[in-house]
Amino acid sequence: MESLIAQTAERIFADHVDKALLDRAEAPAAGAFPDALWRTVQDSGLHLVGRPDSGSELGDLFGLLKVAGRHALPMPLAEVLVANAVLPDVPDGAGFTTIAVDGVAPWARAANRVLDLDGALHVSFTVEPGANIAGEPRDSVHAGQTVAVAVPSELPLYMALSRTSLMSGALERTMEMSVSYAMERAQFGRPIAKFQAIQHNLALLAGEVAAAVRACDGAIEALGTNGADNQIAAAKARVGEAAGVVAEIAHQVHGAFGFTHEHSLHHYTRRLLAWRDEYGREHEWQERLGRRAAARGADQLWDFITRGQ
Amino acid sequence: MSVELRFDPVELPPETQALRAEVRDFVAREMPRESWPNSDFNEGHSPEFSRKLGARGWIGMTWPKAYGGGERSFFERYVVTEELLAAGAPVSAHWIADRQSGPLLLRYGTEAQRRRYLPRIAAGECYFSIGMSEPDSGSDLASVRTRADRVDGGWLVNGAKIWTTDAHRNHHIIALVRTAPVGENRHAGLSQLLIDLDADGVTVRPIKNMAGGEDFNEVVFEDCLVPEEALIGEAGNGWAQVTSELGYERSGPERFLSAFRVFVEFVRHVGADPAPDAAALIGKLASHLMTLRKMSISVAGMLQGGRSPTVEAALVKSVGNDFEKLLPELVRLQTSALPSDHPLQRSLSQTLLHAPSFTIRGGTREILRGVIARGLGLR
Repeated sequence: MESLIAQTAERIFADHVDKALLDRAEAPAAGAFPDALWRTVQDSGLHLVGRPDSGSELGDLFGLLKVAGRHALPMPLAEVLVANAVLPDVPDGAGFTTIAVDGVAPWARAANRVLDLDGALHVSFTVEPGANIAGEPRDSVHAGQTVAVAVPSELPLYMALSRTSLMSGALERTMEMSVSYAMERAQFGRPIAKFQAIQHNLALLAGEVAAAVRACDGAIEALGTNGADNQIAAAKARVGEAAGVVAEIAHQVHGAFGFTHEHSLHHYTRRLLAWRDEYGREHEWQERLGRRAAARGADQLWDFITRGQ
Repeated sequence: MSVELRFDPVELPPETQALRAEVRDFVAREMPRESWPNSDFNEGHSPEFSRKLGARGWIGMTWPKAYGGGERSFFERYVVTEELLAAGAPVSAHWIADRQSGPLLLRYGTEAQRRRYLPRIAAGECYFSIGMSEPDSGSDLASVRTRADRVDGGWLVNGAKIWTTDAHRNHHIIALVRTAPVGENRHAGLSQLLIDLDADGVTVRPIKNMAGGEDFNEVVFEDCLVPEEALIGEAGNGWAQVTSELGYERSGPERFLSAFRVFVEFVRHVGADPAPDAAALIGKLASHLMTLRKMSISVAGMLQGGRSPTVEAALVKSVGNDFEKLLPELVRLQTSALPSDHPLQRSLSQTLLHAPSFTIRGGTREILRGVIARGLGLR
């Protein structure tokens, strides 16, 4: 059962996001912000989902990001949503706030404010354009005027979960594209889906996607509970692992066509490879989770697994 | 198009917390002193322990009270089974009867069969073996050749079953047999018979496995006369009945916990402040286990809702088996060689020697991938 928010988002993103828009947004150094899409998102109120006064919850915010991931949405919705949720006092309507980590922020070139994870809010700044391996703008930010704001200590966790949610949606889309392609593409006189080697690779892919989606949903459900930090750590690590496996198999199934710029597959697989690196690679979250498990000791390991803390 | 493989977000209901604590308390008191080096559901055969579990109401938990069950939820059953496996408790005696023979009788058995067997299974006193594979029929189950011919007073059974875990110490076997010649539909003409393992005409021969254990067997039927009332369900409906067992057989925590004791001993070995790579391995294994539990609990929810989640169960087993095979390999690479009697090494050795069976028993990796591919609409 999809929420109303997810349904609305699905409709808007499906209407607006096509290959031409993605190509324009991913243009090296000159990536163009999708103004029409942003206005539609604002008109629908989707950019306020998860804000305390919006009638929706943080869980809805991350559910919305799964839909954004399904569409490789070419705008910094994760940053917009999380910034709106943690800075409810910044008035809506004056552009948007993006979030920087180590001085680099998605789409800073089009943003009005840049929030650092430690609560420094830059209201004037200069930008040096850059991009991640998906061609998504990741701009270096040089601060001008800055004010200190109070941000929750969970902000880095929220950002990690934002990438986890985006990956979860992109993984589902990648699976659907791979299954469709295998049924359409014929070789040796039959669809390649009929070959056992292809079936087994897609079964592996499906297992990774199922695990990733469940891990991500579990972390979203855990928001606000005591073990949320560990569930998010586990999910970012597990979904990141799945991203690598799934991107690899999806490309193998798509053959040379999937390696072309003209095919759409890379819009999703390159994002999977980029998002698994952002806000902590697998190893970093595994180590963090592993330290907490080790501190509980061998005889409490099972309790740690079952309670997540 | 949209691929529908749904693992609904399901949480264990709160009442399972007290139950979990009860099981932990029970295990702490009642576990045999010698700790088991792994969490394999096929090892550790203890009628005494099984009877104690039965007395606590932890076998046949979801069955109606009229048949000795507890009318409890699949979530409660899930919690009991995962707690027992994680502790490495000796559960193999009653495991098959509780997991699938009992539910099969409940669904397809006659009233007389239910009354006769289910209460004793639930008491932890009556143990079953699975009679599916044959020397010439492994993954291609529909090719079984063990036949049962109608004779005066019942069925005359001839043939052989193989890889029959604990047939030498269990009481009954549910054998998939051919009761009509192979026709155009090779899934037709199969039936399930409930046969006493000490009946005349049944010979049980042990088969030693590569780890040195003697858990499985060959069971040979030579003119074994089985009474009419041994038939389960309908004659000729055996294929549908057998496949209906698979949701129970493939989705449980035994499909990803077989190597869990290695994980425990690794954490003990590296201590409370491990090196970064060791900590990362602990976190990696924990993240996989936490995720597999969520998937398996989701399937328990589907069983609770009366659904037959065949494809989702195959996914849990497939992802779970890969994990339980990978676990000892990764732990091995994070430790230097240890003396053979070191608890971690004992557990590792035992698990590595059993690991080949993880992706074979209960449906091979290859068969599972075929089931998943069908679920994706590829075949």
